[in-house]
Amino acid sequence: MIKNKKVLFVVSVMILLVLAGCSKEKTSSGFSSDKEITVVARDAASGTRGAFHEIMGIIKKQGETQVDNLVVGAIEFDGTDKVITAVEGDKYAIGYISLGSVSERTKAVAVDGVKPTVENVKSGAYSVSRPFLLVTKGSENNLVKDFMKFAESAQGQKIVNDMKYIASAEASSEYTSSGMSGTIKVAGSTSVTPLMEKLQEAYQQLNPDVKFEMQSNGSSQGIKAAIDGSYDIGMSSRELKDEEAKQLNKHILAIDGIAVIVNNDNTFDGLSGSDITKIYTGEITKWSEVK
Amino acid sequence: MVRSKITNTEHKINLYENVMQIVFFISALVSVMAVIAICLFLLLRGIPAIAEIGFMNFVFNEKWGPANVPASYGILSMIVGSMYVTAGAIVIGVPIGLLCAVFLAEFCPDNLYRIVKPAVNLLAGIPSIIYGFFGMEIVVPFVRESFGGNGFSILSASIILGIMILPTVISISESSIRAVPSSYAEGSLGLGATKEETVFRVVVPAAKSGVLTSIILGIGRAVGETMAVVMVAGNSVMPLNKIALLKPIRTLTTNIVTEMSYASGLHEASLIGTGVVLFVFIIILNTALSLLKSKSSRN
Repeated sequence: MIKNKKVLFVVSVMILLVLAGCSKEKTSSGFSSDKEITVVARDAASGTRGAFHEIMGIIKKQGETQVDNLVVGAIEFDGTDKVITAVEGDKYAIGYISLGSVSERTKAVAVDGVKPTVENVKSGAYSVSRPFLLVTKGSENNLVKDFMKFAESAQGQKIVNDMKYIASAEASSEYTSSGMSGTIKVAGSTSVTPLMEKLQEAYQQLNPDVKFEMQSNGSSQGIKAAIDGSYDIGMSSRELKDEEAKQLNKHILAIDGIAVIVNNDNTFDGLSGSDITKIYTGEITKWSEVK
Repeated sequence: MVRSKITNTEHKINLYENVMQIVFFISALVSVMAVIAICLFLLLRGIPAIAEIGFMNFVFNEKWGPANVPASYGILSMIVGSMYVTAGAIVIGVPIGLLCAVFLAEFCPDNLYRIVKPAVNLLAGIPSIIYGFFGMEIVVPFVRESFGGNGFSILSASIILGIMILPTVISISESSIRAVPSSYAEGSLGLGATKEETVFRVVVPAAKSGVLTSIILGIGRAVGETMAVVMVAGNSVMPLNKIALLKPIRTLTTNIVTEMSYASGLHEASLIGTGVVLFVFIIILNTALSLLKSKSSRN
């Protein structure tokens, strides 16, 4: 009989919990700014995270050392879709995603008063953006030159637009097949890789004799490989450092804006860059502390 | 004529047997080879990484910063995280599962059984990504509204895993309860005990080893679960002193899945090292299971 009572107790506690959950859910609507901010970030290996944390100064560099100061307890997801779902479901969440992935499910806020739009990224007014670069060293051989011509042509830049990145230049000329043959070795950024693969596919349809060797190993590795000549083209999803820029030719393939997103119920339509940094480093923990 | 016919069919049967023997042998070999290949892969790729990072620095360090310079690869927080989440799943899943098994085996009317049993079986067949979606859309908001925090937490992961281990716990416990000789129950009833007393004091204790087996298998499922956990746990690497029931957590499995896609070099190797640690966990569980089995068969 004692055991029976225990069973009854467990069951009734469970029912109570469910009821409590339901009733609370109904009463809480609207945005109260004294709640804690739910900080949503990407995983440590993500290119988007690397760029965003660097632009916003979340990564602190001191000489040789470099530390990511992301606040303890920030939620980390391995994909844009999960970041969107998390921010969509949590009134007090903040996240960041590629501009191309912004939809009405969440609200992309203005940063320092500038709205994240394709035009503002193009004009440079929206500061949270990163270039997708292709870098080469010295004088390029004809094959690499031809591929670059394709990447910057109307067809190439259409692929850039189709992949929801921002084309670097107004589509200039149509590319016509050159009938080249040979192998192009490409290495670098994992963020640029999907775009690069699409470009290669399209290029190979026009020039079936050209082969590609791809290594997707991160921007820094790609730049290094281009400098030491072991690869023809390096891919980078960050701006070149001064000493790198001196040694390389730079082609801007596309520009990728990073949008800061909040829940649709959030009353903020814009945030200052410094507040975003403070939110992500844990100096600000509540929405009421945001100016 | 007749004799030669017989030897001919005998010969055919022998040949058939030999061929089938080889087929069975190859089938057995495939699974053994798969285990060996996985072990070799983990050890050959994981051990050098652990050696390069340093065993103590890897397993007993709570700082995980693969993108930092210098990088740090400590997985202590995730080991503890896996333990917490699994313990939570056991706390939630085992009582419910065990009571359900008792109900199914002893108290359930036949027409209800025809509904409940297939439902339990269906629970086992639901893909883990569906559990993850359910968790992210229903359980996380529920935890956020009812208990506070942002919902991505040890508690949410425990609830989801608790549900996921239910079928394992229920079906194995149920069959072990059914396997208890009816003379036990008859003896107890004959001594004047009520049905409830008989079930909880005599039958369930007699099925103890089966119930324990179901719990260990449940732990194995919970430790290894990835897709559902990654969507509800929040995946934050928490310092040990900040781990809490309503705070996010990263487990061993989710560490691998969140970072594997982009990782390279030592970072990638350290994720395989994480797999080695996970593998050791599973080996310990399996050893416990076989010890339990040999003990119960001796009894």
